[in-house]
Amino acid sequence: MLASWNNRKALLAKTIILTVFLIIISIGGIFMEEAALETDFSRKNLSPCFKYLFGTDNLGRDMFARTMCGLSASIRIGILASAFSSVIALVFGIAAALGKRIDFIVNFLIDLIMSVPHILFLIIISLCFGKGVRGVVIGLSLTHWTSLARVIRAEVVQLKQQPYIKISGKLGKGKLYIAFQHMLPHVFPQFAAGLVLMFPHAVLHEASITFLGFGLSNEQPAIGVILSESTKYLVSGMWWLAFFPGVMLVIVVICFYAAGNNLRKVLNSASAHN
Amino acid sequence: MKKKLSALCIVLIFVCLSFCGCSDSNSKANGKVKKDEVIVAMPVSSEPEAGFNPVYGWGAGEHVHEPLIQSTLFYTTSDLGIELDLAESCIISEDGLTWTITVRDDVKFTDGDRLTAEDVAFTYNKCRDESSVNDFSMLKEAIAVDKSTVEFHLKYPFSSWYYTMAVTGIVPKHAYNESYGENPIGSGKYIMKQWDAGQQVIFEANPDYYGKEPNVKKLTVIFMEEDTALAAAQAGEVDVVYTAASYADLKVDGYSLFKAETVDNRGFNLPAVKRHTDNKGTVIGNNFTADVEVRRAINIGIDRDRVIDDVLNGYGCAAYSVCDKMPWYNGEAEVAYNPDKAKEILDNAGWKTDSSGVRSKDGVIAEFKLLYPSSDSVRQALAESVKNQLEKIGIKVTTEGVGWDTAYTRALSDPLIWGWGAHTPMELYNIYHTDNSTGYAVYSPYSNDITDKYMDDAMSETDLNKSYELWKKAQWDGTTGITQQGDIPWIWLCNIEHLYFVRDNLKIAEQKIHPHGHGWSIVNNVDMWSWE
Repeated sequence: MLASWNNRKALLAKTIILTVFLIIISIGGIFMEEAALETDFSRKNLSPCFKYLFGTDNLGRDMFARTMCGLSASIRIGILASAFSSVIALVFGIAAALGKRIDFIVNFLIDLIMSVPHILFLIIISLCFGKGVRGVVIGLSLTHWTSLARVIRAEVVQLKQQPYIKISGKLGKGKLYIAFQHMLPHVFPQFAAGLVLMFPHAVLHEASITFLGFGLSNEQPAIGVILSESTKYLVSGMWWLAFFPGVMLVIVVICFYAAGNNLRKVLNSASAHN
Repeated sequence: MKKKLSALCIVLIFVCLSFCGCSDSNSKANGKVKKDEVIVAMPVSSEPEAGFNPVYGWGAGEHVHEPLIQSTLFYTTSDLGIELDLAESCIISEDGLTWTITVRDDVKFTDGDRLTAEDVAFTYNKCRDESSVNDFSMLKEAIAVDKSTVEFHLKYPFSSWYYTMAVTGIVPKHAYNESYGENPIGSGKYIMKQWDAGQQVIFEANPDYYGKEPNVKKLTVIFMEEDTALAAAQAGEVDVVYTAASYADLKVDGYSLFKAETVDNRGFNLPAVKRHTDNKGTVIGNNFTADVEVRRAINIGIDRDRVIDDVLNGYGCAAYSVCDKMPWYNGEAEVAYNPDKAKEILDNAGWKTDSSGVRSKDGVIAEFKLLYPSSDSVRQALAESVKNQLEKIGIKVTTEGVGWDTAYTRALSDPLIWGWGAHTPMELYNIYHTDNSTGYAVYSPYSNDITDKYMDDAMSETDLNKSYELWKKAQWDGTTGITQQGDIPWIWLCNIEHLYFVRDNLKIAEQKIHPHGHGWSIVNNVDMWSWE
């Protein structure tokens, strides 16, 4: 039966499986929050066993629940931040079509933000907004739009030279009309794929700044918190505190990346032949 | 062929190198050669930022300890009594405002100049003007009357002045400048030979020391993170390594665990007034903990031994006050764990349980946020343990990590896990005495006129032993105070034992009870340590 599938169907199926997996983690994590916060000193420092798949930490917290809950929080923060970020990218990218001056400003902003390492900007912005979920989301949103904005802008600049756009302008249509009616549908596939490909960045960066202590507060089960706590116990041989959460984070990021790539191929069929 | 030869050469070189490496570390590891040297690993935070300058907190800062390089007028004995060091006698005027002290005349700084009353006066005046970490605000002026007599004129009577004098190292007036912290000159047991900032400090015994000649001639202090320090012990590179309860059960070959008793306590404040906003917009007070019956129930509703087992693997002892085992501690503070009594107190006070198991009274739910400094994993665990225990008597606790930038303000309305413990009764004053500008004690809103009065009297008492009695009365005088039967505005959980891995043949001299701060206290008497 599989043989009768064409590439497109297979890609779609893969993407759907990956998406379902990610959705299960992000929703499952929400229901595990209570278990993730529960401390029980009678079961502290247990190595992985059947009951506690990922072991327990020095406060007797179930690491499986904590990992799932942390991943879920990371994914939700990632989605929120990517959504904000991609809207910024779309607005700025399309705005570039409106005129030379705006184009110059947008380009300048992109260069400015890209010239400084993400993590520095993230730390500063997160601190300014009082850390926590709010700080992280605002920080991620304000730093991750640049590369997508650049792609959209390039597309738009190319589109501007297309005969049908020029004709539309000659026929008296306004710039905004052209931007929304003619350009937006054209850049949408790029936009959608870029949005999904932004997730892994956002998730990793959320974990990084939380690990460094500038993100989520440390009573919350977040992957960054779990990993930074675990470094203290590695020396006493408690490898499971870092191993499972770390591997899970990598798996989630790879899933997002694969899903994004697949989505791009599906939406932008021309590039599939490359 | 050539390739094979060169590969062989490389392999041979590596083999040689690794053998050299082994023999090298072997000679380091057997402690036989260095009979009078000690290497101690301390936390990175123990390195004094402003150098070894008593004016900026060396010895006399947040974490008190003996300054080693400098000598002090008095010193504290192992039971926290006061003994003469540089001082030969001390006379206090009737009003407690003038302290006249005769200084030994046979003491020299390590640069050869004599230590005189001038230096003492200079040191104290400098501390008063510039110290930001220790309180010298009661000192009006220190005057050198002649070469060996110094007079301290105080603004108000201050009986704990002895304890200030026991930690303030005397600096030389003639050799003091802004870079003194990096090149300290003193008259103490040791000379600072070398300081590699961020790494280590090397001390050598002072050959001209006026007291008993130090046993240990060279002390090297290395600053390391907890896990690196443990690795250093496992590699046999250091003689004494500080460690935490979470590592204490590990076996390290050639080392054994050394436990030092401390007054390094952990506890939490319970705001004793109802929630309101003051004129600066700060939120003060907590509607649940404002009820004294609630505070009493919490105090006996926590099984301290259980907390210690949970969090410290048993390396600690129950605390009932900020000053357990100190000469000014009032034993009345001790309470027994009694959850049934706690529930009864809450029931009688009108805090009734509903179907969810959480109590409430007149719409106020029996719950509070328990804050802890997010950088401190032990305090986080304490908070979690307290949360689990209070749940059993129907009180709902949520824990939250906070940074020190906001912790002090937040603690005015939400309980925070604190760590205290110093070698001076002033700590009672700092925690419980009313601050006149706000009408409440500084760290947690609470005020009791009678307690305040005892503490004021204790400060103006000129006889040290009599002042202890007054400090005790401030805690509980039979009718009021800060203990279980009194207002109980703070709950004390445990004193954390300071743990060290010590090389087997090194004998550490008897320690006086360590204060807060897992750092320099261990080397207070390093001069008396010995190798066997």
